[in-house]
Amino acid sequence: MQLTVNGTPRDVDPSRSPTLLAALRDQLGLTGAKLGCDHGECGACTVRLDGDLVYACLTLTAAVEGAQVQTVEGLADGTTLHPVQQAFIAHDAAQCGYCTPGQLLAATALLEKNPHPTDDEIRAAMSGNLCRCGTYPKIITAIRAISDGAAAGGAAAGGAAAGGAAAGGAALSAGGAS
Amino acid sequence: MTDKRARFVQTTVEVEGRTETRVVEVPAFEPAPWTADTPLSIVGTSPLRVDAHEKVTGRARYTADIVRPGMLHAIIVRAPIAKGAITSITLDGARAMPGVRGVMGPGDAPPTTRLFRREVSYFGQPLAAVCAETLEQAERAAAVLAASLAFDVAPHAVTVDDAIAADAPRVRSAGNTTAPDVVERGDVARGLSDAEVTITREYRTPVALHSALEPHGAVCEWNDDHLTIWESTQGIFRVRKDVSQALGVPQAKVRVLKDYMGGGFGAKNGAGAHTYTAALFARTLGAPVRCVNSRRAEQTDSGNRPATVQKVTIAARRDGSLTALVLDALIPLGISGWEGGPAQIFHEMYACPNVRTTETCVYINASGMQAFRGPGYVEGAFALEGAMNALARALQMDPVALRLRNLATRDQRANREFSGNRLDECYAEGMKRFGWPSTIHPLPSALSRVKRGVGVAAQTWPTGGGPPSYAHVRINSDGSVDVLAGTQDLGTGARTIFAQIAAEALGASLGTVRTVIGDTERLPYTGNSWGSMTTPSVGPAVRMAAEEAKTHLLEAAAQMLDVPVETLTTRDSQVLSSGVVQISFVELCKRLGNVQILGRGSRGPNPELAIVTVGAQFAEVEVDSETGVVRVLRIVAVHDGGRIINPALAESQLHGGIIQGIGYALFEERHIDRERGVTLNANLHDYKVPTMADIPAIDASFLVGADPAANHIGARGIAEPPIIPTAPAIAAAVANALGVEVCAIPLTPWRVLGAIAG
Repeated sequence: MQLTVNGTPRDVDPSRSPTLLAALRDQLGLTGAKLGCDHGECGACTVRLDGDLVYACLTLTAAVEGAQVQTVEGLADGTTLHPVQQAFIAHDAAQCGYCTPGQLLAATALLEKNPHPTDDEIRAAMSGNLCRCGTYPKIITAIRAISDGAAAGGAAAGGAAAGGAAAGGAALSAGGAS
Repeated sequence: MTDKRARFVQTTVEVEGRTETRVVEVPAFEPAPWTADTPLSIVGTSPLRVDAHEKVTGRARYTADIVRPGMLHAIIVRAPIAKGAITSITLDGARAMPGVRGVMGPGDAPPTTRLFRREVSYFGQPLAAVCAETLEQAERAAAVLAASLAFDVAPHAVTVDDAIAADAPRVRSAGNTTAPDVVERGDVARGLSDAEVTITREYRTPVALHSALEPHGAVCEWNDDHLTIWESTQGIFRVRKDVSQALGVPQAKVRVLKDYMGGGFGAKNGAGAHTYTAALFARTLGAPVRCVNSRRAEQTDSGNRPATVQKVTIAARRDGSLTALVLDALIPLGISGWEGGPAQIFHEMYACPNVRTTETCVYINASGMQAFRGPGYVEGAFALEGAMNALARALQMDPVALRLRNLATRDQRANREFSGNRLDECYAEGMKRFGWPSTIHPLPSALSRVKRGVGVAAQTWPTGGGPPSYAHVRINSDGSVDVLAGTQDLGTGARTIFAQIAAEALGASLGTVRTVIGDTERLPYTGNSWGSMTTPSVGPAVRMAAEEAKTHLLEAAAQMLDVPVETLTTRDSQVLSSGVVQISFVELCKRLGNVQILGRGSRGPNPELAIVTVGAQFAEVEVDSETGVVRVLRIVAVHDGGRIINPALAESQLHGGIIQGIGYALFEERHIDRERGVTLNANLHDYKVPTMADIPAIDASFLVGADPAANHIGARGIAEPPIIPTAPAIAAAVANALGVEVCAIPLTPWRVLGAIAG
């Protein structure tokens, strides 16, 4: 059967991978979506299905034939990072990074529906994605920065390639220093 | 400078509150310490996390993302009972299932792995394993194998009370309790009789589960007799040692790799059942094998913070000066484990002349404990700080004033000077930021349903780190720099801060420096990333390596430029002579060609000082007195960790500790059914970790400064301290709101309502 994944038609065999998460990871090599709980409790497997947020671990492959799937790998436009990705870098919104792909998709979906969410709306919309490292405050900051149109810090950082600490450089002010 | 003959000396290192004496090598030289006044341009700033780009693009590869050609999948079958013995098990049914390549049961693993025994002593214990071509096939076969098991079920004890009862079933053959560990200083009887106010309380803390979002996992692959392991671990060299010993393979033939990992928090400090299972199947089947815990397995048998029952007596004069502290603690470890110790903080936190702690560990039929962020101190602080707050109420004294009255200005346990300890400034800064004490709420009106309260608590934690830790700094022929250290980045930012330290010491621009970590075969040894030790242990080694590389580079430059080496300095990857740029690293290294500039660094012995990270946290809460729901409104945290290498990343560590502390205070508790002995909430739905909706406003910071007496980079560890005072600060705020203390956590609605009802 066929799916459109990050804009490209892809063939997957649902008999080999009952869940969409397994199909993405094992058949298509898209390992950005993570297995965290396998029961739709943690959100690490979050992807977008025809624009909606879904837990890929609870989504049956066979049930989504022909659907449009977006994963974290499809967020950037070529080498240009999505503003949400840029903001996550600029505001240190990823610690271990395991929940990050799901958080990014949840944040993207939120901002598309509601470009200027209140803090309470951010908290409610993002509460289906657990983070054990405690990045929540910085995710809120990142989302707020985009909402305020002030993700500029991320633009510089996002442009820097892997290991781009240099360019980002001193862009971040001394966050918590008193 | 490296030809100086190395000497070996004894030094003490504190790991997770335990003091170890080690013989270590004295480095060939120790750079002059970076003091608070040393002008630094990269260390102390907040460049972006160097691996953030991989993390936001999904390209960061975690253990379960590793795919090897022909890789098989293993699943461990676990005990559905808490105690007994297998009477019947059939492996053939599973073996005949589609895709199944191997099955292991009792007797099939070397005894050194402690895997697959017939005797069951806790729910979730590994009993057997299957290996198949796909994970789904392995899951089906595991279900068939599990269904074939029959047991002779024996009585179990899964609670402290059941394990210490007179007719308790034997949990371990040597007995269910350890000999009480009594530590006393001064004269407690005298201290109690000298007191004008004495308070006694019993505090209870829950079993908490690490709940890293990435479960434990390993991918193992043999090439002839050489084993490669990709493992999500906080200690690559520890995994290598564990596997080497358990499987009888020389360390030289075991390579452990760890690229990215999805959190550890203390539970991933060595090889586990998943590692041995993958390695054994991979050897017998001749194919790479992946074995990753399911979430259920992860929440059942991958470590936990043990519960405690702590009876505390705190005694003081009317002016608030402590005369005695007494702790009597029961700690149900599970089936095994070491004791992090709620007692330690009682001996260290306050200047009290008379302290006696008694710790008795209790074995129960449950999975064994593992270190969990601030082990022992988190549990101990809930009781000690709770008792301090109760004492403050009894004395009608400001709880901060009470703490300042008893401030430890010397290490109380070993009677040493501190390398640096600015806890008094943490209180002052925290009070200012929080608005303490003006925000202390008056006693709640009986009429208002939602009540507000504020509270405070403090912490100490040994964060000196220590040897042995080694690092190399290599300058490549294009002037770029590799920092090589066999350490791990749990998500803390180790890659970033070691690049900062090397760039600072070398005078290189940060963007040219790359940190390479996580490979036992290619990188110099460092210890586990536990005990908040990585920065103060590896950081000085990285700096020393960079300083040595700089020395070599400048000697080469002096030859090339024909100037005295003493006139040369470096800045932004350029060589300067008397302040004037002479040549770039790029050009210099290009001319040197393949002459390798390599600096080697090692971590020197610790000074004879107490090295601690301290801090204070203030909490404001709202309690609904009809529903019992507690909401944390804000937390202010101020800690002193010496020099902060990267304030933005350090702030993220503070957030993480505080948020885990909120979970510990309000939600998190493993439940085991007393009758059946099984874990009831082995998932992330019923084991409640905080979500974004639960998070208050957090103002978290470190004091600006440095601790050059601790080590020559002036930095102490910071990862564990912030979780320690959060729960007692929240509990104090709840007590302030309600006018009654709740001495057991988590502060669930029923506990809060129970306390209100009296």
